[in-house]
Amino acid sequence: MENPYIPMPMNVVQITTEVDTNDIKTFRLTFVNPEDEKKFKYLPGQFGELSIFGKGESPIGIASSPTDPGYVEFTVQRTGTLVGGLVTTALHDLEEGAQIGLRGPLGNSWPIDFLAGKNVVVVGGGFAFTTLRSLINYMIHPENRKRFGDITVVYGARTPGLLLYKDEMAAWQKRKDLVMHVTVDRGDANWKGREGFVPTVCKEVAPSAKNAVTVICGPPIMIKFTLPVFFDLGFSRENILTSLEMRMKCGIGKCGRCNVGNKYVCKDGPVFSLAQLEQLPRDY
Amino acid sequence: MLKKIAIDQFSELVKALLEQGLLYAPVKGTDGVNFRAIQNPADVTLDYYNTVLSPKAVFFPQSEDLIRYRIKKDTPEAQPVPLENRPAVILGVRPCDVRSFEIMDRHFLGAGVIDPYWKSKRDSTTVIGFAFDVNAAADPADFYNTFGYGAADPEGSDVFMIRADGNLLLRGMTDRGEKLLASLGCLQAGDARDEKAFDETVKKGKAVRTRSAEINDKEIAKKLVDIFDNGEFWQKVTMACIACGACTFVCPTCYCFDISDETLFKEGARKRFWDACTFTDFTLEASGHNPRPRIFQRYRQKVCHKYSYHVDKYGCISCVGCGRCIRSCPVNIDIFGIVVEAGKL
Repeated sequence: MENPYIPMPMNVVQITTEVDTNDIKTFRLTFVNPEDEKKFKYLPGQFGELSIFGKGESPIGIASSPTDPGYVEFTVQRTGTLVGGLVTTALHDLEEGAQIGLRGPLGNSWPIDFLAGKNVVVVGGGFAFTTLRSLINYMIHPENRKRFGDITVVYGARTPGLLLYKDEMAAWQKRKDLVMHVTVDRGDANWKGREGFVPTVCKEVAPSAKNAVTVICGPPIMIKFTLPVFFDLGFSRENILTSLEMRMKCGIGKCGRCNVGNKYVCKDGPVFSLAQLEQLPRDY
Repeated sequence: MLKKIAIDQFSELVKALLEQGLLYAPVKGTDGVNFRAIQNPADVTLDYYNTVLSPKAVFFPQSEDLIRYRIKKDTPEAQPVPLENRPAVILGVRPCDVRSFEIMDRHFLGAGVIDPYWKSKRDSTTVIGFAFDVNAAADPADFYNTFGYGAADPEGSDVFMIRADGNLLLRGMTDRGEKLLASLGCLQAGDARDEKAFDETVKKGKAVRTRSAEINDKEIAKKLVDIFDNGEFWQKVTMACIACGACTFVCPTCYCFDISDETLFKEGARKRFWDACTFTDFTLEASGHNPRPRIFQRYRQKVCHKYSYHVDKYGCISCVGCGRCIRSCPVNIDIFGIVVEAGKL
């Protein structure tokens, strides 16, 4: 019998500090056992349980794309708060060469087949950009690019130093098959890009709702003000997608923790359309 | 087949069961009567109304090691704990509690993911159900009639046991139960009179009245979602709740658990523990956001989960009316009363 609670051993091969506050790092992991790698078939939007024995497990979205085989990446914020942070702190203290555990891939994914043939507007705020990065890299991969229509990305952070994946963003900005709008709430002396909140930028960019889907991830306050912009642009509730945050433990729909209405966010989600979310009790 | 043994020979039956493997049976302790792994046959009691804690712990222990590990500098050594699959018997499960196993099966074995810890113990365990005393009144907290269960319903047990005159009568209800009975040399074959006594007890059990109400699964499931935002109702019915979680710990169908690592020096275990949706930090996220910071929101989750979400997901209410949560509640909250009242809104 397959035991879904047992993590796979993973090598930490690369650790990248993403932001100038040093509390967000990207961990590149490779599989210790080749058979684990063969079984690990994932899509953008899924997550994994990162595991450090003695500390515990943490559910983290997969930041890499399956189109880049050989490794899996997770971008992790250290949450040194009173409510936890044991695992993320331990992860941040790791050095390259360490071994950790991983369970996954878990949850549903961004609905690739639903997105195919449509224009995709990706909206991200701050640290919540990780599985969106996975989605973008998936869509712009040479084998996949023609399956999708126009790709528009609006990504914002509070300050330039808090933008993730800076090198990759710079490469995306040079592409012809992707329109990037990077914004910060407040620039600094070196910032030459756009300033303004994500909802405002979405309003200015005003992507057409025609045959379009928007995929939105960010802090609740950003989502709250961004949704009306997309309503005004004519996006239907079925075509507004997000990834729900909820405390999790098992990640496989057994422990009951992430239960909202008749859904388990870890298994039935984390990706939901706004239409689906509106069917659920406001309990998240 | 029907077998029997004189009640004063009961310890012979316990001994015979112990020879077959693990045995879980009711034991009287300072904390009341509860199911325990039996070492000494004399510890088993048949003198109880129902156990304080439900029998779920036999399949889903309050604390269970999943993985044992040894911390080293870079590469930890970790070994999954072998699944418990020694043959076992659980003796003395009341009819309503037997039904709880089927409800838990839908969750732990369903929805596309099998929980190996639940499954291995469930597969290797024979359930001997035990009728309530059909000549006595039901506990006022009980409401298992609501779900159509009688005080002596044998369905769901592998072997069902009743008391009749000075005997214990045991009927095999499944192949596994029949096999167990056939292997127990201390039992005598029952005769036609015993058959009659058994059937009459089952029938009499149907007449034992607990509290009861017409609760339609689908209707209550929808109703609870409809009144989800009726904060006034939820606050009124949960005003006394102190979020102690006792109701969830004694419940035969509450399955929420936590997973946590416990380390002593360099060695430790990843364990799972019973948890409770009524606890303050159950849904507290690392960001500090807590979707259910107030007690009424958490108790509402408990009621809605059992009577609404579980119906949607698994096709049945996740409650058997055993009355434990009501008997154990320090502030007399009555889930039956709450559901009935909700149904009237």
